[in-house]
Amino acid sequence: MNALTQALANQTPGLNHWLVLSTVLFSIGLYGLLTRRNAVGILMAVEVMLNSAALNFVVFNYFVTPGAFDGQIMAIFVIAVAAAEVVVGMAIFVAMFRLRHSVDVNRIDTLKH
Amino acid sequence: MIGQATYTLAFYFLAAASVLLALAVVNERKLLRAAVALMGVLTVSAGLYAMLGAEFLAGVQVLVYVGGIVVLIVFAIMLTRSAELLEDRPDKLRSALGAVLSIGFLGSVVWVLKSSTFALPAAAPLAPHDDAREIGVLLLNYTSTGYVLPFEIISLLLLAAVIGGIVVARKTAPAEQPFTSGGDLAGEADFEVPRTQHDEAETGVRQ
Repeated sequence: MNALTQALANQTPGLNHWLVLSTVLFSIGLYGLLTRRNAVGILMAVEVMLNSAALNFVVFNYFVTPGAFDGQIMAIFVIAVAAAEVVVGMAIFVAMFRLRHSVDVNRIDTLKH
Repeated sequence: MIGQATYTLAFYFLAAASVLLALAVVNERKLLRAAVALMGVLTVSAGLYAMLGAEFLAGVQVLVYVGGIVVLIVFAIMLTRSAELLEDRPDKLRSALGAVLSIGFLGSVVWVLKSSTFALPAAAPLAPHDDAREIGVLLLNYTSTGYVLPFEIISLLLLAAVIGGIVVARKTAPAEQPFTSGGDLAGEADFEVPRTQHDEAETGVRQ
């Protein structure tokens, strides 16, 4: 038990662990962005990607410039921009649904014809 | 030592939880469930922020993301009737392409991370303290190291997004209105939006 605790204490996650975690989250978001057909689903995948980018800012803040707060401020800006993006996205989807009765991105192809 | 072991365990637990929940966000066929999973991803991220010594940011994350953005997304799901439909499974080509691209991205980034070294400070990272106060001071600091200009610009962006959202999601699109101020500028009540033919037809379809 004590040895296990010691081993765990020696394995404290470093910068690369955190960066790999946020990269994995970003890739999952990318997969959703490419495969979802519902526009709201795409918006949710984009939220996952934005969140992982904000996590990256905080991670670099913590490891590279401890004691400074610039990375956290960038994360706050990312959150604010995400809020603005969701407001506009929701408005567009509601208008689109009113016009076409669907938010399937495969069927929103007016510009092609 | 116990503290460090707990830290390691908490990191792997939260990391696994966020990855699994993110997979649910992109794969769940019922969009409302995906929205709940997204809420989980964002809450777990708040925990990760707290582990990185950003307690204020964790609070902001819960308040704005979980409390605001997810609710907006749920509204979007409800208003577009996406909750009633099962989303189609993506066809084979599409999901294969998405998987190849995202795994390729993951592989290339991990490869770059493995082959690069970052200029880390020699000492172990010390946990910042009193971060709410420091962030507030930095946000309103108008010297060259402060962020007052982006702060003001982001407030303009939010205002523009709110106005744009109202205009876009309005009952009648601006192009369908007669070429007047539409009652917006004059003091007349603009709650009585003139109902156009399109409007009538549309409510007929909806009901």
